[in-house]
This record gives sequence, C-alpha cells and structure tokens, in this order.
Amino acid sequence: MTSFAISAAGVSKRFGGLTAVNGVDLAVPEYSISSIIGPNGAGKTTLFNCVSGFYIPDEGEIRFGGHAIQGLPTHKICDLGIARTYQNIRLFKQMTAIENILVGYHPRMSTSWAESILHTRRYRQEQKNALEEAFELLDYVGLSGMGNILARNLPYGAQRRLEIARALASNPTLLLLDEPTAGMNSQETGEMRAFIKELRDSRHITILLIEHDMRVVMDISDQVTVLDYGLKIAEGKPAEIQSDQRVIEAYLGPGAAALSEKFTRKRIDHVAKR
Amino acid sequence: MLPHIKKGLVSGFTVGIVFVFLILIGFISVGAGMIWDLFGNLNNPSGNVTLTVSNLIIFIGLFGFLAGLTTWDKGAEGDWVQTLLAGLAAGLLGGVLVGAVIWEIGSLYEQGVDLRAYLPNLCPEEMTFLLFDHSPMAAALVYLISWVSFSLAGALITKAVSTRDWFSKINSKIKDGVNRLALKDQIQKVLENKAVLIGLLILLGLVLYFLPLAWGSYLNYIMGTVAIYVLLGLGLNIIVGYSGQLVLGYVAFFAIGAYTYALLTAPAPHGIELNVWLAMATAMVTATLTGLLLGLPILNLRGDYLAIVTLGFGEIIRILIRSDLLTPLTNGPKGITNIGQPTWHGHIFSDVNYMHLLFLLVLVGLFVAKRLKDSRTGRAWISIREDQTVAQATGVNTYRYKILALLLGAAFAGLGGALFASRNQFTGPEDFMLMVSVNVLCIVIVGGMGSLPGVLIGAFVLKGLPELLRELEDYRLLAFGALLVVMMIVRPSGLLPARQTQFSRAQHDKYKQERAEVN
Repeated sequence: MTSFAISAAGVSKRFGGLTAVNGVDLAVPEYSISSIIGPNGAGKTTLFNCVSGFYIPDEGEIRFGGHAIQGLPTHKICDLGIARTYQNIRLFKQMTAIENILVGYHPRMSTSWAESILHTRRYRQEQKNALEEAFELLDYVGLSGMGNILARNLPYGAQRRLEIARALASNPTLLLLDEPTAGMNSQETGEMRAFIKELRDSRHITILLIEHDMRVVMDISDQVTVLDYGLKIAEGKPAEIQSDQRVIEAYLGPGAAALSEKFTRKRIDHVAKR
Repeated sequence: MLPHIKKGLVSGFTVGIVFVFLILIGFISVGAGMIWDLFGNLNNPSGNVTLTVSNLIIFIGLFGFLAGLTTWDKGAEGDWVQTLLAGLAAGLLGGVLVGAVIWEIGSLYEQGVDLRAYLPNLCPEEMTFLLFDHSPMAAALVYLISWVSFSLAGALITKAVSTRDWFSKINSKIKDGVNRLALKDQIQKVLENKAVLIGLLILLGLVLYFLPLAWGSYLNYIMGTVAIYVLLGLGLNIIVGYSGQLVLGYVAFFAIGAYTYALLTAPAPHGIELNVWLAMATAMVTATLTGLLLGLPILNLRGDYLAIVTLGFGEIIRILIRSDLLTPLTNGPKGITNIGQPTWHGHIFSDVNYMHLLFLLVLVGLFVAKRLKDSRTGRAWISIREDQTVAQATGVNTYRYKILALLLGAAFAGLGGALFASRNQFTGPEDFMLMVSVNVLCIVIVGGMGSLPGVLIGAFVLKGLPELLRELEDYRLLAFGALLVVMMIVRPSGLLPARQTQFSRAQHDKYKQERAEVN
C-alpha cells in the first residue's frame, strides 16, 4: 500500500454564501507529482490555501506526516515541511535573490538577535553554512551569478525559479506549486516541466501542483484531481482523466462531447474535400 | 508654439502662487536675510544688519528664475523663440500675480489698515521692506520687471545649458572615469585589510574626540540634539524601516525613558537620586517593557490601524504624565527639575563630555543596527515588511519578530529619552508632543527607509540644519512640508536609500573547490 504525503478528508471552505471548496477528499501519494486542475473559480487555490494554512477550513481534516494541520499558523505548517509558491509571484521584492533564499532558511536556523549582534562562533558558523547552501540552491535552480540582484529586477522566469528555490530552502517534504508555468512561453514551459520532474527525482519530495497547461499536467503527473465548483469530480491517472465525460463537460460545458465529435467529423470532411 | 506658452503659464502660475504665499506669511524678509547671510557679509564687513534692496531683488529673482527654469521640458525640442516665449509667459503671469498682491496689500497699508489683524507677520517694517519704501504702484512694477527679466534669464540659461553637448559629455566622462577606476572595488579591497580598517577607526575616534572640543557650547548643543535624534531614528528605523510597522506613537517610549531617568535621579518629587548609569539602564528597560505591553495586544493590526492606535498611545502617555491623577508621581505639568547628571573624575559632565558620550552611543547604536540588519533577524524583519503573509508561510514567526522590533526600537528611544532629560536637566510633558514622533518618522523617511547612513543624514538635515539656520526657525514646518513634498517627487526612496548587503561568492567557491579536491 502506498503511503500518503498529505491527505484531506471532507474539506470545506465557505466565503459567505459561496462554498469555494465543498467536502473535498484528497490523497497525495508520497514522492508523486500530483496535479489539481479545474476551470477558473473551481477552488483549486482555496484548497491550496487551506493546506498551507492561509485559510482554516470550515469542515474536514487535513493530515500531514501524522499531524492534523488544519488551523495551525502558517509558520508552524512550514516548520512541519510544507512549502509553497504563489500564482502571482510573491517574492520579497526589495531583497536580493540570495536573501530571498536565506529567508527560506529561516526555520532551519536558530541563532537569536543577541547572538547576531555579538557575532558568536555559532552565529558565524550558521550564517556561513546557510550562505553556502543558498548559493548551491541558486545554482540548482539555474540562477548562478544572479545572487546579488534585487528580486524585482530579475526576469520573469527567473523570479518563478527563485520562488521555488526559496520554498526548497526550508527543506520541505511536500512542495505546493501554484501554476508554475503561468505566463511562460513554450520553451520556458518545457524547461519548467523538466525541472519539476528533476526536482522530485533528485530531492525526493512530493509535489502537488495547480496547473492550467494540460500538456504539462498530462506529461508529468502521476495523479490528477479535477475540481469543479468546489467539488471533486474526478481523480486518477492522466489517461483516465482525459477520457472522463464529466471532466470534458466541466471544461467545455454540457453536450461538449457531442460537440467535439461534430467538430472532428467536420474536420475529416474538410480534409476529405481537399 | 502654443504648448510652450501654456507650459510657461503653468510654471509662472505655480511659482507665483508659492511666492504670494511666502509674501503673506512674511517669509520674504527672512529669505532675503538668508541671502544677506550668504553674500551680504562679503560686501558689508561692518556687520551692519540692514536688509538691502539688492537682497530682496535677488530673492525675487530666484523665484522668477525658478519659474523660467521650470518652463524647460527635458525631452522636448524647442527653438530659441519658443523658449523666449515660454520664459516671457511665465515671468509675466507670475509677475502680474505677485505685483497685484503687492499693490493690493500696499494700498491697504497706505490707507492705514492694520494688516497684522489678518496676517500677523505683515508688520509695518515688513511692509516698508516689501514696498522698498516706495508707492505700491512703483513696487509692484519693480516686482513685475524683475520677475519677467529673471524668468527670461532662467529659461534661456536652462536652454543654453541643456542643449550644449559638452554638459552631458562631461557628465558621462566623469561617470566613465569613475567606473574605470573601479573606485568602489578598490575601496572595498583596501577596507578588507584589517590594519587599514583599524587605522581608519582610530582616525575616526580621534576626529570624534577632538570635534566637540573645537565646537563650542552652541554647536555642541545642536549636535547633541542631532545625536539624540539619531538614536531615536535608529530605533524607529528598526520598527518602520526594517519590519515595516508604521508606529506613530514613538514619542511614548522617549517620554517613558526620560521620565524614568528623571524620577530616579532628581531630588524631587521622590528623592531617589539613584546612580545615573543605573538609572539610564532602567530607563531603557522600562521603555522596552512598555513596548511589550503595547505590542502584545496591537501588533496583529496592520497598516493604517496600527498607525492610529499607536498615535493614540503616544498622546495618552503625554496626557497621563500631566494629568492630576499622576501628578503625585510625575509632578504634573510643572515637570521635573534638577535631573541628575553623570560625572567624570568628580566633575559633572560638561557639554563636551556629553558629546563624547553621545558619539559613543551613536556608534554603538549604528553597530547594533547594522549587525541586526545583516542577520537572520534582520532578514526576517525585512521579509515581513515586504510581504507579511508570505514571510509567515516561509516560516517566520511574524508576530514574535514584530514584537522584537518594537522592543528593540523602544529600548533605543528609552536611552534617547534618558540622555535628553539628563542633558537638559529639566523635562516636562510639553517635551513629548506628537511632533517628536513626526520628526523622527520624517528622519527615517527622508533619510531612506531601512538605511543607516540615511538616519544620520536625515537627523542632520531635519534637526541640525534648522537650528543652524536660525532664521528659518519660525518656518520650520513650512520647510519640513516643502522638503517632504520635493523629496517624495525627486527621491521617493529617501536621500540615501537602503542598499541590500552584497554577499560574496568567493567563500562559496572556495568551499566548492575544497570539496571537489576531496572527491
């Protein structure tokens, strides 16, 4: 039996009258790459926010590494080993790239403010180690030599990678990526796709991502979960999802299957005429 | 051709209105006096303080010039005729505006209306000065003519300067030269040498030791005030500049530091007369504890709400100090006199000793603030400033770090307050008006949020310069406002914006090499 990195049972989140996430069950196998997809407003990011502690779910339980984590403050959840990135990049803009990563190291460092004033041996050692690791992480995400550039001055793709590096710095066992390829061209998307796979293999972590680019989702996912109007409508391997009637309807509307059939026939006719 | 005239009219109007405002608040003679300070002494070594007409004309001219200058559009191409027209338009409109106002108030004055009833600064002397002791009509004409001619000069000179290639050429040459010399790297390299660094520190120490001896008591007093404000600025810089929490009641910690020190060392009202150094430390501790009491309940608030609550807190402390309720404890509105002073070899601290102490404390404060900034703690603070939600999701316990920032900031204020009380030997509730908080906040903002050299420059510009330019004293608030507005337009991130620490790669590469060799 596979063990699960994170599991959610009956998670609901309501905003006033709107139920953004409605009784969703989720089980992400360890060391897998799992995707959550769904049309806009399906509750994907809300679910992410419940997992990373930004929202407290109204109902249900989220278990991670043997703890029930719903309701914990976000920094505690980060300590436990969940790190995330954001749909619209949220770096510390006025800090350099390397400093952004060093903030990611924060939970793994322990020296106090008094030690940093006195520059104790322990402080210097810790600072040195963190800095060395941070530079390696910078190389790892392919930003060598950009360490002293302010985050806001980095090119877009580099900012996405830096956000991942910052998340990796806390040594997470579960990495949440919110639309990692949003706004990228096809070449950058391809690179990111390879990078995510490599990330899972070399660092041995579980990755849960939200993604709109179906080529990316179908290529890298071990498991795909589909949300629509806050409900989970399908879950399974990419191939199963592609042929799932309800998924197609959720994306294209009712009767879409017939429509797509008609469209295919038309194209065949067109080709035949020529 | 029309856009140039329009531009001229706009700048003429703007500068004209500013000038009229200055006339009405009676600033003109002050401004002319400052010009007299700058240039007049040369022509008039006898030291005979009479403001001359030429000073006034220069002052008027400055504004006319400014009007002409602002008609120049950096990017826009314009031939000489268009420049001339723009300058003329600016000068005419501004001159007519100013002339009309002069004529009007001049006529009223001639008719015997006491203008002081409405505009308290327009005393008869000021009026005589404004009218050059002539009829309103003649004076208005002089204003008009000088405005037009100076505005034309301003426009033409700006055009001449900015169209000349040599100007930009020299500029870029200098930049090239500086880059080629790699001055920054060189300095960096020299500074890395420990002997040089120690030598420089000793030199700095000597300069700081001998400066107060040379300054005399007046300068020592002013620079002492600046130094105390530097300490306050360093503290608030931790709260506002680093952790980004807009705290407007900073004066509360200053007041608590000052009163703790005063009550512990003064013979009245309690007669404790504790050792002054102990009292100073206690003042820091009390201020810090107050920070804790204030911070625990309110630091969950963000932005505007935090600003309002802390603003109230600052006022509450001052009102409590002077209230009847606490008069037995704090001596109420009368304040506390004969506050204890430190001694040195049996002598009570002189102004020079105070200055030395203040220099020392400022250096220590800078050192502490710098080390904090570069540490894990400082990075946590700055990440909270940049994006609190993300900082917390990255593992920073934001609540704890915000409290820590407030506590350390309050400690600086407590120390500043103790020194302030001790140096003045008197303190009362009126020392702790809201204006102190605003001043310190301005120091942090004008200097550059989170920037340590910025705090030094900011404190000197905002506390030192006004004291040195005594004439400005009455118009401090005006200058304050003008400075802030200009600064926000010209340098929105402060005079010396904060720079992030550059981490060198060398150490890392060496480490990598070593590992490669091992493998």
